Amino acid sequence: MRQVVATVISNEQLWGEHRVLGHLKFLGAWLIWLKCPEIASEAKPGQFIMVNCGEECLLPRPFSIHQVSDDGIALFYAVLVSGKGTSWLSRRKKGDTIKLPSPHPLGNGFSIVSSSKNLLLVAGGNGIAPLYFLAQDALKGKRSVTLLYGTADNKRRSIPPHIKLVSATEDGTVGHRGMITDILPDYINWADQVFACGPLPMYQAMAHMSELKNKPVQISLEVRMGCGLGVCYGCTVKTRNGLRQVCQDGPIFELDDVLWEELADGGV
Amino acid sequence: MKLSVQLAPKNKRGLLLANPVMTASGTFGWGTEYEHLFDIQRLGAIVGKGTTLKPREGNPQPRLAETPCGVLNAIGLQNIGVEAVIKEKAPIWAGWRVPVIVNIVGETVEEYASLARKLDGVGGIGGIEVNIGCPNIEAGGDEFGAHPDSAAAVTAAVRAATSLPVMVKLTPNTGDIVGVAQAVAEAGADALSLINTPRGIVIDIARRRPLLGNVRGGLSGPAIRPIAVYMVYSVAGAVKVPVVGIGGIASASDALEFIMAGASAVQVGTANFTNPSAPIEVLEGIEEFMAKEGVEDIAELIGAGRG
Ligand SMILES: Cc1cc2nc3c(=O)[nH]c(=O)nc-3n(C[C@H](O)[C@H](O)[C@H](O)COP(=O)(O)OP(=O)(O)OC[C@H]3O[C@@H](n4cnc5c(N)ncnc54)[C@H](O)[C@@H]3O)c2cc1C
Ligand SMILES: Cc1cc2nc3c(=O)[nH]c(=O)nc-3n(C[C@H](O)[C@H](O)[C@H](O)COP(=O)(O)O)c2cc1C
Ligand code: FES
Repeated sequence: MRQVVATVISNEQLWGEHRVLGHLKFLGAWLIWLKCPEIASEAKPGQFIMVNCGEECLLPRPFSIHQVSDDGIALFYAVLVSGKGTSWLSRRKKGDTIKLPSPHPLGNGFSIVSSSKNLLLVAGGNGIAPLYFLAQDALKGKRSVTLLYGTADNKRRSIPPHIKLVSATEDGTVGHRGMITDILPDYINWADQVFACGPLPMYQAMAHMSELKNKPVQISLEVRMGCGLGVCYGCTVKTRNGLRQVCQDGPIFELDDVLWEELADGGV
Repeated sequence: MKLSVQLAPKNKRGLLLANPVMTASGTFGWGTEYEHLFDIQRLGAIVGKGTTLKPREGNPQPRLAETPCGVLNAIGLQNIGVEAVIKEKAPIWAGWRVPVIVNIVGETVEEYASLARKLDGVGGIGGIEVNIGCPNIEAGGDEFGAHPDSAAAVTAAVRAATSLPVMVKLTPNTGDIVGVAQAVAEAGADALSLINTPRGIVIDIARRRPLLGNVRGGLSGPAIRPIAVYMVYSVAGAVKVPVVGIGGIASASDALEFIMAGASAVQVGTANFTNPSAPIEVLEGIEEFMAKEGVEDIAELIGAGRG
């Protein structure tokens, strides 16, 4: 099996530059649809793929699977300030081809317990990427989904259909003014399971929340990756259960398992 | 067309590769991880992850940084330890056609010897690659491979401890690569492989500190290729044992540079990350080149580019 060559079906900018707590962090958010039926048919929410972002990138870039269709997948990606790979990706046009080192979706994915009826999804900014797919998948199973969505403002949001939305914005243009973690405690009782994706400070705040102590909480972890296949050991983190490779054993972990203090010091 | 190469002509068992394309240590796992992607049995040989006596946890995050045409890594030799390799991996390899070479790393000469002793006679292991790019704890932390005497001491100890073919992997972090190569060959190495990663640092200017958790890392990828070709060229002209070229190989033409500089075989490393079938493409490209140029035996190309 050779590398997958995926054709770009569409690649559109959803919004322009956005700041996180006042600092310019991203040059924009994009949605790209790739034709790759082999991955689409296997993909589970929370899994990711590695993407070769041009000749100049010697490491492929990991992106969560954001949506799936019959013959393709969508990625939701933020272009980083001086991000080599993400800016290359944003220049791809319809019909261009993109190489994916592995023909399979990677990582473990979220797991919904069969008895869970009420799913609480917590997205911080670009953390909507894997949760969109999770929300769509969960609705198929007649569950109720509430999405707590924290963003900079009301323009920079990508909202999955048919879910209950609760918003927080840093500028207060919609919903609660402030962080999504401010209002999270109000929804915990309702939830059978909590699923979160967002920046490190969001996870750290959640790790300190006493209300979450006895809830099953799954989060998606971001670290630098080399191979995505479990061979390079570039992605290893320490957890309460020992060393784990984020690309194989993750990227989804129980909130309690991750040693957040150690990760915070390293950064990505 | 003859592609096979013998990497340990003086060794009783020998180390015969069906073709000169191998995978580099630390970039191809144990081979098993790629089995579902392509037919790994077509490779010349697979080199496993650096293996130590006891399992190692490796370095803090971040462990990887991308640099212009290169990758800086500080994995810190995270591995499952030699006992687990013998128990869990070797039995799988025993059923393979492709030879698997175990890459060993010690902190003392005795550790290297003890690793070699443990691997001796284990089914499924085709040879040992001795990584001498590790700090010598007893001698103040310079790499074993930095000096001819310490490199030779490791080689001699490993040689005495095993009858397996022994390939010593040279580090570029020395002022005397030819001296080290000669000393290692003299001490009983069947073959030499080079290069391991030159040291480097990336500073994260936003955080005002080194980007990698370990501060220092090792550089790989096309950025190091001309340095590696130079070192292979120099070493191949100075020793009689087979030389294996490593450093930034992503295509057949890259591999042919090393072969023409004097390498009998090559290893593909960082290129596996963006293209797991890179080694197979390198192999097919070499075959095409030989067909086009009317070359019957790969041996005709080894050293063919030396001026
Ligand atoms: C499992 C997983 C899923 C992800 N899903 C998404 C997603 O759906 N949408 C999205 O926008 N981003 C996602 N990311 C983050 C994304 O991988 C990085 O933003 C991207 O690699 C940056 O590449 P760059 O070349 O633009 O940045 P550069 O800074 O030029 O990259 C240099 C190196 O650092 C790595 N790197 C830089 N930032 C990150 C980061 N935050 N996380 C991991 N590696 C990083 C790059 O992969 C590359 O190896 C995910 C990360 C992981 C680990
Ligand atoms: C992530 C990574 C891990 C590595 N681990 C090892 C190792 O355990 N032992 C070793 O001898 N070399 C190790 N190397 C070095 C490679 O085997 C090879 O010598 C080097 O990367 C140069 O080849 P390349 O440019 O083709 O990658 C590692 C390299 C990388 C990138
Ligand atoms: S990214 Fe290589 S082991 Fe996880």
